[in-house]
Amino acid sequence: MPKIGSSRPRTSRTRTEEQRQKDLERIKDYRALEDQVRHHAAKNDYSPDVFALTSKLLRLNPEYYTVWNVRRRCLISGLLSKPSPGSSPSKVLPTSSPTATTTTSSADFSSSLSTEIPPAPESQTTGKSGTTAEEDEEQKQQTRQQDQQNDQQILQKELHFTIPLLLESPKCYWIWSYRLWILKQVIERLPVPVARNIWEEELGLTSKMLLRDQRNFHAWGYRRHVVEQLESPELEGKSLVESEFEFTTKKISQNLSNFSAWDSRSKLIPRLLDERNANDEARKAFFEEELNKIGEAINVGPDDQSLWYYHQFLMLNLVNSVEHPTIAPAFTQEERVTYLRREIESIQELLEDYDDAKLIYEALFDYTLYLCQLQGRKPNEQEEKDLKGWLGNLKKLDPMRSGRWADLERDFGLKE
Amino acid sequence: MAMGSIGDTLWDVVICGTGLQQSLLALSLSRSGKNILHIDPNDYYGGAEAAFSLQEAESWVDHLATEDKGLFRSASITKPDVVGLSFPRAYSLALAPQLIHARSELLSQLVSSRAYRQVEFLAVGSFYIFKAPIDPEQQPSLVRIPSTREDVFSTTAISAKAKRGLMKFLRFVLDYDSPEQRDAWKPFADKPLVDFLQEHFKMDTELKTYIITLTLSLDGRINTKDGLFIVHRHLTSIGHFGPGFAALYPKWGGISEIAQVACRAGAVGGAVYMLGAGIKSMDTATDEIELELTSGDKVKTKLLVRGEESVGDEPSISRLVAVVDSPLKTLFESTVDGAPTPCVAVVALPPGSLTTPGEADTDPVYVFAHSSGTGECPNGQSVLYLSTMATPNSKEILSRSLESLLLAVDCDRVPQCLYQLYYEQAAGVKQSRLDGLILDLPGPSLSLLMDDASLNHVREAWKKVVGDAVDDAEYMVFTDREPVDDDDDYE
Repeated sequence: MPKIGSSRPRTSRTRTEEQRQKDLERIKDYRALEDQVRHHAAKNDYSPDVFALTSKLLRLNPEYYTVWNVRRRCLISGLLSKPSPGSSPSKVLPTSSPTATTTTSSADFSSSLSTEIPPAPESQTTGKSGTTAEEDEEQKQQTRQQDQQNDQQILQKELHFTIPLLLESPKCYWIWSYRLWILKQVIERLPVPVARNIWEEELGLTSKMLLRDQRNFHAWGYRRHVVEQLESPELEGKSLVESEFEFTTKKISQNLSNFSAWDSRSKLIPRLLDERNANDEARKAFFEEELNKIGEAINVGPDDQSLWYYHQFLMLNLVNSVEHPTIAPAFTQEERVTYLRREIESIQELLEDYDDAKLIYEALFDYTLYLCQLQGRKPNEQEEKDLKGWLGNLKKLDPMRSGRWADLERDFGLKE
Repeated sequence: MAMGSIGDTLWDVVICGTGLQQSLLALSLSRSGKNILHIDPNDYYGGAEAAFSLQEAESWVDHLATEDKGLFRSASITKPDVVGLSFPRAYSLALAPQLIHARSELLSQLVSSRAYRQVEFLAVGSFYIFKAPIDPEQQPSLVRIPSTREDVFSTTAISAKAKRGLMKFLRFVLDYDSPEQRDAWKPFADKPLVDFLQEHFKMDTELKTYIITLTLSLDGRINTKDGLFIVHRHLTSIGHFGPGFAALYPKWGGISEIAQVACRAGAVGGAVYMLGAGIKSMDTATDEIELELTSGDKVKTKLLVRGEESVGDEPSISRLVAVVDSPLKTLFESTVDGAPTPCVAVVALPPGSLTTPGEADTDPVYVFAHSSGTGECPNGQSVLYLSTMATPNSKEILSRSLESLLLAVDCDRVPQCLYQLYYEQAAGVKQSRLDGLILDLPGPSLSLLMDDASLNHVREAWKKVVGDAVDDAEYMVFTDREPVDDDDDYE
């Protein structure tokens, strides 16, 4: 919305006595609400009334994590269906071991789900007497369906409940944690197609979040977690690696400085090429395409660290082929050397227009040494001259890191 | 207030004309409690910035044919023998289709005065350059001008070296007001921007065209100081009110809508409005003027504010307004995720785009394409506003430009023209003039971009009316008359 600008009088918000009284009232109401909830929880009372109280309280203070737990208990002890005896294991409540994850950020989220929430003592469900086994089974089916529909409604309402809270407090850990817990219930309790739908909507939500704040590191981690779930067998998933790769392309075209997007991209490449069953030709072509793309980006953004990181990732693919899995392992020694030389040349061209971009000098320095490493030799006379020159530029452009430049000088015997 | 009694009041100010400047003056005075009589000899609002239905356009053209003076001349209407033109009121053709940068002074004043609530602003989308085909058998094309780093990254139309040049310039402009950069361009301040771009950045013709187009300079010779200011404002306006656009355009007829909203605010504030009333004669005394209006009324006022009607020294422009039978969808595509669909697109035909061998290079031609989203034409049609410097050939040049543009736009079939309005507009006097109790505001701007400078004259006129007792900081700063429930006030 339009900002009002300097014409708006900048007065400090001094409260009038009336406002102060209003605030005191609000504090009183809040405390009363809080006391009520704690009182009921202490008595193990998780009835629908208490549930309603938690709604009120959480709207006022979504950071109150204990109250989120009270809300969870309300759902488990009454509002959501009970797991019926003899139902499939996947529908049973989660145990306390965290789900296996590969990235740290997803682990952060799912480990918060591992808090064991014991259901409140429930009354025994009594079987009906005087019915045939068939009728019994049919009853069970109907009840199960009814339960699922009921659960779906409740879980979706819960997701809705968190939305206005998220808009107001988009970084509140507890709201996201609750949302993930609800989504886990979705997998546990609802039929797979329904569950998939809901999780796909969640993917859409992460796209919206990343639209609002493209470089939100937590949002990227969350997205990876959602993608993992959608790919998992529980949701009868298939690989989403192509569309996720496409997503990073889109994010980069919207903002080149998106470190998370480039980072995600680099992590997706191995699986992407595997799934494409890319042969040597395809892999080499892919490498070339990525190199061109990052070259275009650096051409317009030579000061951007995230771009140089990605470029370096590609260069390391050429150099470290033995220890690490690479994009195109079939590159010959000659091809690798050619690529490195070519890159060093084009980066030098950038200096025509960007002679004060220190990251360019750093890259030239590093890549010249990569080239030597690749060819198993020491820098020749010309290269030594160049290295000294670039180091000289770095010392001038980045005096704060003089210690680092001094180290490099010493390590590579480049003292003038 | 009964009409007869307007002669009884000693008005604090009589404002004559409801063009943009006079209307903004009425807005600025709308909470002052002053007695204001606001008249206009036309029977429509907006003056030189009005928007016309086809009927009104016809009356206007007929009226001009009988007059010899005034700023508008050589007006004519052509209706080709093509089916598809809708009824007259389905159109609202703007006489001043100006773009407003998001960071313009006008918008901040509309916001602080709360008048912005009454206007629906639309996004101005892409700027294109017309490219004549290399092979005369081929069709011409349109190339989008990149104005952000990501645009430059994505475009395939410029070389890597040229991209670096463009990036260097963009970085320079964003910082152009710093002492270091000032030293670089100060020597060129009053010289053409193209010269500075040549000398300092060694820019090729193509890049120079991109930059000049962003300034919308009608003769292509805008000076460095003004040019850098505008490019800087364009770049810093991107994203200011939302992603993907730098400029806005008011729905329902552009500037005329702002004039109407401003007059409405004036009326709510107590000003009396009379259309179809001009000044027949006047009698000046020491501290009041007696005016005889064409309506027969005689009124007395302490100050008279008018819009200048006489022709100034600057060159005139030629304009062609064409209605075409296509929505020209490809021009109005949003290029950024989450950006509003634009309703205005800009196409520049640089000098030499249309030249046949042997002819001299023409001035640039600028085209503002308006979709039906502007409310200026029905669905399925578009309005094209072509402008260029007035010369003996300019009418023909605009005609050929229109033809060529219609070939260049990516469409399933070549759009047909349903209606054309042509006219020439002379530049008015540039300065305000105060002669005793009569203040003449400068003539209407011919610029294609809303010009901040023109707002200063309104502020001076406001000061004349309210006097020294009122603080300058209060200019155009109002609170909402009724409580409004919205998020604007909470950052």
